[in-house]
Amino acid sequence: MKSTVHFAPYVPGQDGPWDAHTAAHLLRRVGFGATPEEIQQTVKKGFETTVEDLFADDREQEAAFQDTFRRIHGTLVDFEGGGQFQAWWCYRMLQTQAPLREKLTLFWHGHFATSSQKVTELPLMHQQCESLRRHAWGNFHDLVLAVSRDPAMLVWLDNEANTKEHPNENLARELMELFTLGIGNYTEKDVREAARALTGWHRDGAKFHLRAEAHDPGVKTFLGQRGHFDGTDVVDILMQQTATPRLVARKLLIFFACPEPPEEVVTEAGELFAQMRLSVKWFLRDLFQSKFFFSAACRRTRIASPVELVIGTCRSLGVRLSCQELYTSMAAMGQDLFAPPNVKGWDGEKKWINSAAWAVRGEFAKRIAALASTNGVGPRLNVGRLVPAGLADPDKVVDLLVERLLDGELAKEKRAEIARFLITAADGPKLDQFRADPAFREQQVRAALALILSLPEYHMV
Amino acid sequence: MLSRREFLGQTATGLSALSLGGVMPSLFARAGESAAKADRNDHVLVVVELNGGNDGLNTVIPFENPLYHKYRPTLRLAKEQVVKLTDQIGLHPAMGEAGALFKAGKLAVIQGVGYPEPDRSHFRSMEIWHTASTAKKVPYTGWLGRVLDQQFAPGDEEQLRGLALTGTLPQALQAEKVAVPALQQIEGFAATEGTMPAGQKVLRKLSSGAGDKSDALGFLRRQAETVFRTSQKLRDAAAKYKSTVEYPGNLGQQLRRAAQVINADLGVRLLYVSQGGYDTHNQQAASHQALLGELAGALAAFQKDLEQLKFASKVVVMVFSEFGRRVDENASKGTDHGAASCMFVAGSPVRGKLVATYPSLEKLGDGDLIHTVDFRSVYATLLDKWLGCPSEKLLGEKFPLLDLLTT
Repeated sequence: MKSTVHFAPYVPGQDGPWDAHTAAHLLRRVGFGATPEEIQQTVKKGFETTVEDLFADDREQEAAFQDTFRRIHGTLVDFEGGGQFQAWWCYRMLQTQAPLREKLTLFWHGHFATSSQKVTELPLMHQQCESLRRHAWGNFHDLVLAVSRDPAMLVWLDNEANTKEHPNENLARELMELFTLGIGNYTEKDVREAARALTGWHRDGAKFHLRAEAHDPGVKTFLGQRGHFDGTDVVDILMQQTATPRLVARKLLIFFACPEPPEEVVTEAGELFAQMRLSVKWFLRDLFQSKFFFSAACRRTRIASPVELVIGTCRSLGVRLSCQELYTSMAAMGQDLFAPPNVKGWDGEKKWINSAAWAVRGEFAKRIAALASTNGVGPRLNVGRLVPAGLADPDKVVDLLVERLLDGELAKEKRAEIARFLITAADGPKLDQFRADPAFREQQVRAALALILSLPEYHMV
Repeated sequence: MLSRREFLGQTATGLSALSLGGVMPSLFARAGESAAKADRNDHVLVVVELNGGNDGLNTVIPFENPLYHKYRPTLRLAKEQVVKLTDQIGLHPAMGEAGALFKAGKLAVIQGVGYPEPDRSHFRSMEIWHTASTAKKVPYTGWLGRVLDQQFAPGDEEQLRGLALTGTLPQALQAEKVAVPALQQIEGFAATEGTMPAGQKVLRKLSSGAGDKSDALGFLRRQAETVFRTSQKLRDAAAKYKSTVEYPGNLGQQLRRAAQVINADLGVRLLYVSQGGYDTHNQQAASHQALLGELAGALAAFQKDLEQLKFASKVVVMVFSEFGRRVDENASKGTDHGAASCMFVAGSPVRGKLVATYPSLEKLGDGDLIHTVDFRSVYATLLDKWLGCPSEKLLGEKFPLLDLLTT
């Protein structure tokens, strides 16, 4: 086994302290952020146990989710459109105690991007999502095979029209270009031959169905190999190429670690993923335990996706919002679950942001900050839990919010600016009123909260 | 695990119905308005992207060619149906309004457009069109972004020179010196002042700033600044626009917003709109008909609107798609990814005619049409002759110019 450099283990203490900020970094990346209490528990639990627990058996929770889904399916959640089943996924992301599974499901949804814009049978989209969730940190080979036989995917990439007489190249092409090898690692001839191998891979309702009479059993030459290949063989051969682990490892690095990983890190990651025989779990476990993952290159260097921003804000502030609103908020910011822009998925990072998307993020910040502190079962943000009602020192209030939302990282002058803003009413500074009047204080804290949630710094995860 | 009410929470207060009100201050809009003008004219270019790969063969149709009818047994359009441009070539029957533009001398139809060694991946081919480069190392800037960089003048950071009405920024408009805003809705984007104007002022101050910890953070700061800077201008533009012209479809709404921006005379030179849905692998006939009908109707409405607003002499529209489609139709009554296709250039300054030669249907390349003119000849013509930009410098190569414009 080759020696690792970037994937050498992170040693708490030696490579920086295992403290609240480091734990918060890990929790943001593997999940959706956490409250200070959860972060403290994570620090106490220790680094190694924390990483180990990310992959813990979550079958019990899954059974509970499935049970809930069965109970509300047909009433609260249906497949008639209108965003309910997207909201169901938001509910899972908000509630889950195994956030890595949801984060990976989201990753695979972006990797094998399938859209309900074309796959209008929403139960198929739901079924695909469940399949991605089941395979979340399983073996990539199994996952690609499952996706290649997935009814939603077969509809999405026109494989039902792929027959012996008239091969359709759509699935074969994207399988190579986007899902495994990447452009430049195959020829147009390989596309045509793979399409032949995939002929007859159709569906019967919501199930995979091999239509034997539509399958071309002839000899194919694919990526230098010859045989009577079918789709399973094509997937096997794709998994033997070095381009495959490299492409997937690069995407996993970008999604979890850093937006532009250096080439030598990608190379090491690709080799590692190949050595681990495409086990996503073993690869990620090493990544989350690596020096690289905790280095400056990875800390607060990614731009939060809409899902990360919306779910992360709610989870870390303890906000309650309807799941429908979670979904529509993300969609307004440019991440419409189950409707990625095209088969390449969301480009992510800087592509998340443009003027319109930035404006929507600002609106979301104000919406969150304005939620009532007590509100039955309606939307809620308990300001008293963020800033104790008795805390009347503006600098301390700012420190508390900055610690919670920005890992304590904000320049002194900016803190001072926010502290000034905190005590300023429409007609000027009101320090005395701020100290004496809890209602005024809460109103000002909300305004400062909206301000911090709108800062570019907050949108870096 | 949860109750009905917990799941639904408050009744529909979703952000989908959100007004974007309040993010923008009105205080800062006028800075730099009188910035120095570089060596540049006031011409506007509007680019229309047809996303997915438009079937050029069924858009600009060689209706007398027997091979066309042979290759397209179910999708073919008969001589009696097409909108005739010449005795050989006609437009898709849904494009009657484009035919009228052609007759009025306001539409150039460019045949057989493509580039060498065509790529059949949507993404790679789109990248080639957006960056005007087939090089392996993809340039950071787009071909339109380079126009903004080339003609950059001090104060441009404060100005609005390019604008994408697509909701996301197309790579073509990626520039180095300025951030180009991308938005879908002018009215919403530039809505009224919010509830926390003081907060907005502080926010603007805090959002700017040196000491960027990382490139991405600096990028977010520039975006935030762009929102602060452009919102008021666009709000004013929407308020100033008065028109009775009806635009069809989503593409039409984007072009209507383009007309609003042009009418406000803000100095915007490059506008970008797009229409999706051209990836017609399956049952092409009906969807292609609807798409081309919307395209032709939107182009005609835009021209009419600009004429009424008295801006028609300043504006040229260019229409492109990342590739054409396979000559042979497939078994699903659709067409797969192909190569050469057609382009349109429309507007009052345009010389309305057929440009270049129709690709051969006898000699195909890998089953696809072989281009007769490089798309960068169209770009070069628009750069040199319309935007007053040295095409050779921006495209890295000299491409022959075409006779597209009367100017």
